[in-house]
Amino acid sequence: MKMHSKEILSLESLKIGYVSGKNENALLPPLTAFANSGELIAVIGRNGIGKSTLLRTLTGLQPALGGEIFYNARNIREYTRMELAQKVGYISTEIVKVSNMRVYDLVALGRFPHTNWIGKIELNDHEIILDALKKTSMEGFRKKFVSELSDGERQRSMIARILAQDTSIMIMDEPTAFLDVAGKYEILHLMHLLSRNSGKTIIFSTHDLQMAINQSDKIWLILGNKLIEGAPEDLMIAGAFDHLFDSSIVLFNSEDGTFSFKSDTKGTIYIDGEGDKRYWTEKAVNRAGFTVSKERTFPYITLPSNSNLCWQLSGHSIIQEFSSIYELILSLSNDLIRSI
Amino acid sequence: MKTETKKDLSVELIPGRNIRLIFSGLLLLVLIFFILDILFGSVSIKASEVIRAIFTSTGSNFETIVLRFRLPKAITALTVGVALSLSGLQMQTVFRNPMAGPYVLGISSGASLGVAFVILGFSSHITPDNINELGNWILVAASWAGAGAVMMLIMVISSKIKDIMTILILGIMLSSGISAIVIIMQYFSNETMLKAYVIWTMGSLGNLTASQLNVLLISVSAGVILSLFSSKMLNALLLGENYAGSIGLNVRFARIVIFICTSILAGSVTAFCGPIGFIGIAVPHIARILFKTSDHKILIPGTILIGGAVMLISDIISQLPGSENVLPVNAVTSLIGIPVVIWVILRNKKYSGPF
Repeated sequence: MKMHSKEILSLESLKIGYVSGKNENALLPPLTAFANSGELIAVIGRNGIGKSTLLRTLTGLQPALGGEIFYNARNIREYTRMELAQKVGYISTEIVKVSNMRVYDLVALGRFPHTNWIGKIELNDHEIILDALKKTSMEGFRKKFVSELSDGERQRSMIARILAQDTSIMIMDEPTAFLDVAGKYEILHLMHLLSRNSGKTIIFSTHDLQMAINQSDKIWLILGNKLIEGAPEDLMIAGAFDHLFDSSIVLFNSEDGTFSFKSDTKGTIYIDGEGDKRYWTEKAVNRAGFTVSKERTFPYITLPSNSNLCWQLSGHSIIQEFSSIYELILSLSNDLIRSI
Repeated sequence: MKTETKKDLSVELIPGRNIRLIFSGLLLLVLIFFILDILFGSVSIKASEVIRAIFTSTGSNFETIVLRFRLPKAITALTVGVALSLSGLQMQTVFRNPMAGPYVLGISSGASLGVAFVILGFSSHITPDNINELGNWILVAASWAGAGAVMMLIMVISSKIKDIMTILILGIMLSSGISAIVIIMQYFSNETMLKAYVIWTMGSLGNLTASQLNVLLISVSAGVILSLFSSKMLNALLLGENYAGSIGLNVRFARIVIFICTSILAGSVTAFCGPIGFIGIAVPHIARILFKTSDHKILIPGTILIGGAVMLISDIISQLPGSENVLPVNAVTSLIGIPVVIWVILRNKKYSGPF
């Protein structure tokens, strides 16, 4: 097991930002973090905090303002452009739009650091390209033009391109940003498989906190004044995510990793019953602005069961029945306060 | 299993039979147009006479016309077509702009400013007709410098502004600005200089001296060789600078190589033949339509052949076979190129991507 968790990347007091004229604009205080081989690492932080800049700096596209980056204990400064390209692959948020470029050609560009001066694709390269297409389930698309692909397919081909580049580290800037929910999970699943089965270390930024918490091995949480790293669960227990929402109206529930909006509570309601119906009813009641109490109080809701197919809302004097949560909530928001 | 891999190879690794067929067709076309360009001219000469003039030395008038005028002119046309098209292809990729070309972006204007400095600024003894080999090299170097300077300027601007139409308008402004400078220079120059410059601006494919043709051929050959070396870099640049850098391209180095290459190609042509429009922008698109690829390993030779063929046919048309009149070749290339440009504009109205 120890063999497996080999440190592949470390940042030591890394200062990221831009140089404009003689002024250095450091975005964040110096960052220190590390990544082990085969880990799926999510970079979380608010918009504009410097996630993209961090990822670009790690890829070597932008110089660090200070501090060090080590890949396999070797300083990034000692790598040539070509050597680094064989170590780290990169996907940005930029959408590649080139007409007349086939998926095969796009993936073949991943072989850039491995081919000769004119970029000739040899048999060996060809097999690697086909393998990359296979791993991303894009074999059937290889003769299609990139411009004809859906967002998800294009992202898969971009991933195939880094696979063809044959790097041990993949850096992806919001790889799921413009995908629908199904697409997001497909790409995340693919990333998960690549880190498990192909031993790739994947560092990706995302705004989807729940997805990151569920799927990643480690989170680099960038807050205004520091970078906190750890397993998602460690960060949850430490309540680290709360700081993400300090100034906003969003409430992060560190018990189950869900969000809600901060609002004044309209009252408390007890829910009688268990199971998934309870889970969803509770969610709806919360959304309507009520808190769910732990002890039986009035009013209370009785969930549908074998003997009763309706949601019952029991007040002191009356019992109302509803055939759906929708109706229940409608009644709650309108009548309850008056009737009780 | 083994045979299947082999089959895959024949599909994707080795250029398909279609592509080879197109290449053979284009080569044949260039050859035919080259011969036609020699056969047709303002003086009608029978084909048999032309052949006799090329292969035997009779000392006849026909021989003079064919060897001293038509053959060099055809060679010039071929070279000019190759150079302008290739520089257009490189610019379109490096600027990620389907409308880029030496003429529209003002690169040709920059080159003509260089020429104006030499002819109007330096010496009244330099006229296009009497300068020696060294003078020609000075002329062409000034032209490269002018082209290169405008390239740099456009590059700086386009790194700040991504909108393609804005860049085009700036290119037009740049051209106009440069013309204004040249007009001022003309105003202050003496009569001989002025005459020499005006003759140059009317430039055509037929006015080159043997020594100028030499300089042109050497420069363009250097540009073509350099462009072959740049095909891998150009392919990477298709993805944009960030991706190109992330797959191992030294973007700054690549830019410098491609800039030098483009400046040599567009500058040399402008130095000796004057500004010739719309070949550089249109031909790369014809190549893309024909080969349906974005791979510069195919697009570069394709553009070379198509560029040569289009320029030769433009020259043939400009001679108005059967009549004694000659049209300015610039007018013909515009009429051929503009429809292609319009087609490209109409095809992708949304100009956010490269092409």
